[in-house]
Amino acid sequence: MRNWRYIVYIVVISLAISFPFYAGVHPIHVATTILSLLALALSWDILLRGGQLSLGVSAFFGIGSYTTVLTHLNWEVSPLLSIVLGGLAAGVVALVIGLAVLRLRGLYFAIVTLALTFIFIVIVRNLTDLTGGAIGKLIPSVIFGGDPAMIYWLTLAIAVATIITSEIFQKTRIHFALTSIRNNEIAAKSSGIDIFKYLLFAFVVTAVIQGVVGGVHAQRFAFVSPEESFSLTFTILPLAMCLLGGSFSTLGSVIGAGGLGVLAEYLRLMMPRGHLAIYGLVMVMAILLMPKGIVGTIREQLVRRKTASS
Amino acid sequence: MSVLRIENLTRRFGGLVALSGVNLELRENEILGLIGPNGAGKTTLLNVISGIYLPNSGRIIFDGKDVTESPAHIRCRLGIGRTFQIIQPNQNLNVLENVMVGSLFGQGAGLKEARRKAQEICQFLGLSRIERDITRLTVLEIKKMEMAHALATQPKVLLLDEIMTGLNIDEAREVIELVRKIRDQGMTICVIEHMMRIIKELTDRVLVLDRGEVIAEGLYEEVSNDPRVISAYLGEEE
Amino acid sequence: MLAKLRQRDYQILIAFIIVAAILAFWRPHVLISGLQRGSLYVLIALPVGIIYGILGILNLAHGEFMMLGAFFAFSLVTLTGIDPLIAMLPAFPAMFVVGIVTYRLTIKHVVRAPLNQFLLTFGLAVMLAEMANLIWTTRPRIVWVPYAASSATIGPITFGTFEFVYVAAAAIVLVGMFLFLTRTRAGLAAMAVGQNPRGAKLVGIDVERTYMMIFSACLAVLGPIGALFLIRHAIFPEVGGPFSLRAVSIVAMAGFGNLPGILVWGIGLGLAEAFVRSFRGWGGWADIIFFGMIILVVFYRSYQRRVR
Repeated sequence: MRNWRYIVYIVVISLAISFPFYAGVHPIHVATTILSLLALALSWDILLRGGQLSLGVSAFFGIGSYTTVLTHLNWEVSPLLSIVLGGLAAGVVALVIGLAVLRLRGLYFAIVTLALTFIFIVIVRNLTDLTGGAIGKLIPSVIFGGDPAMIYWLTLAIAVATIITSEIFQKTRIHFALTSIRNNEIAAKSSGIDIFKYLLFAFVVTAVIQGVVGGVHAQRFAFVSPEESFSLTFTILPLAMCLLGGSFSTLGSVIGAGGLGVLAEYLRLMMPRGHLAIYGLVMVMAILLMPKGIVGTIREQLVRRKTASS
Repeated sequence: MSVLRIENLTRRFGGLVALSGVNLELRENEILGLIGPNGAGKTTLLNVISGIYLPNSGRIIFDGKDVTESPAHIRCRLGIGRTFQIIQPNQNLNVLENVMVGSLFGQGAGLKEARRKAQEICQFLGLSRIERDITRLTVLEIKKMEMAHALATQPKVLLLDEIMTGLNIDEAREVIELVRKIRDQGMTICVIEHMMRIIKELTDRVLVLDRGEVIAEGLYEEVSNDPRVISAYLGEEE
Repeated sequence: MLAKLRQRDYQILIAFIIVAAILAFWRPHVLISGLQRGSLYVLIALPVGIIYGILGILNLAHGEFMMLGAFFAFSLVTLTGIDPLIAMLPAFPAMFVVGIVTYRLTIKHVVRAPLNQFLLTFGLAVMLAEMANLIWTTRPRIVWVPYAASSATIGPITFGTFEFVYVAAAAIVLVGMFLFLTRTRAGLAAMAVGQNPRGAKLVGIDVERTYMMIFSACLAVLGPIGALFLIRHAIFPEVGGPFSLRAVSIVAMAGFGNLPGILVWGIGLGLAEAFVRSFRGWGGWADIIFFGMIILVVFYRSYQRRVR
């Protein structure tokens, strides 16, 4: 059983790495998009495991995008380093916001993170000299000279790093802390868990991931603008992916991202406007009909079958 | 020698005075019973001691330190362990893992050490089937798990909030024995309990709360004959 | 829930009155437009606060439902040529039906599970805005009625008079709601349900029905409000988003479940925004005022010694 699992891992990873060798440009492009959405979905889930609903994924994504582009343009930082800086900037914003609101948590946290996206749109629009205002900024050249395979591998690396982060969160004491907090904050406190510390840590780590994904996105399309970089799509799509696949697990987001990512690509072509409605619908349906998502529901069925047979 | 001393503690919820000028002393290695009619403020007192609520005024001295303002998780690490009246075990973890949470964070153990300690404690309490899904536990097992969880934080003082409620007589007797065994390991214990038989059998000393005030304190026999206590329980009007 | 203004609210109220008095001399038009804008916020935030108080659900789609009400009125006006003020009448039952359908299909299944619900209403908000986008496209729509642009001049300042309709509407909704919750059987039952659903059930209140009626009624008032909104504003699918966000922020600033606080904070936000707008070149920043306010409030609340 154990060995099987490793064989599956190795096959999946080698298929993923060798993907650009046998796929055309368009599939590589689609796969890159799906991988970045996967990282967003998974990072969102990591914080949800502590019972915290962040609706600010697109805010950190956009902060990452803008920081990347602006440091690259103004300070001539290399593209890769600028992406790292994008992640750091998102992390710093999360730290400051977290220090202010994570003590109250719950709905306050959800509201403030949702507002964050709109706030940064306003800020970016109004700081015209720095950010190019409503028009945004262009980078003269795309990262890696626009080589889709290289961009794919970079995104793959980030997605894998996110999966590893998620697994670390699942396998260490952090898991015990976050799941206890989600279950009952008062009981968690009384078990000696410093709720604030763990949630702040999880919030900053996930914001960094979201910022890095945003940075890569900006470098990939060589472009930032308030509407594009802070688009609510980057909140809604990952949430729908995670909820569909199943929250509180690594596999859930991976499966949700794979499934919905391919669908999203078709939808984008089939219905150029209004396709977000579908993701909203997916979210609502998942919450109402399948609150554990695909993975959670299947797992539950397996457990039931096992106990029934024994 | 007192482990925990509470001085003149007052706690209000809006206009309601839940605790008013409560003084309490927990002596080392004793079992203190906290009794009183419903709504007397017993659970509120435990919540203030364990740091769930802060008091409006008064002081809490634990082990020579003033912990009045300390947050709950710090008090837990200092050595105030507790169980909850309404238990909400973490269904995402199995029995052993639930207990592990206590040693992981209450005493900062590593995963391996926490697992070993949790196993020890479960064994000590006679809690078997520790890999089990907790939705399939009996009431007794859940109560034991809750105690194990509190013990895993390695407390000096253990606060037990109605752990016998919902148990039958044999089970309650088993838990009484366990509480004694825990005390024999050097712990100081404070129990809230409704069944007077259990209080009589288990405790060294009792403290009676009524409407947020301490109305009597002493040996069970003394207290149970105190007219104020009797009238508090019978609800006589004076 | 309707407890008298808390002491803190009084302090804030007094602070606002002082600010308002200063504004009245210094920048009187700020006072007027702030009051008008703030009333609109109160109009939208108040039902959000009631739904939260009774159902325990923070409805993040409220602005979007208002958008829906406005589009309903718009369609009616363009199809039949009636006055938007008359369109208010059918908009009320129409939105009531929308409320019942929404409650039956979605809200009913997640009552009292705060985060899931919040997520659900977020999903609803997205769906509503995007469906409006599919039906009506993103093109801003306006109706033109002569009285909308009416204005008055007092001394050196000229201001729109139509917007006072928002102030009046806010007052009507506030008083109506207060009377309903304190003077009618249904209202008292609803309050009981909000405080203790299980207890309410025991004394024979139909909790399910109360939830549905309250939710639907709170959406129904958005019909007329949407029609009023339409008269003075261009509407497009995303017009509701900022209102949703401000509404939940006002409810959070007031402290969840504190209805009188919504009035204070709603007007306060309107004044603050109007104040920032009154500086030439700084108007764009008015949209982040609510965020600054909520961060300050949350920061203050989380770092004060929490005895509560």
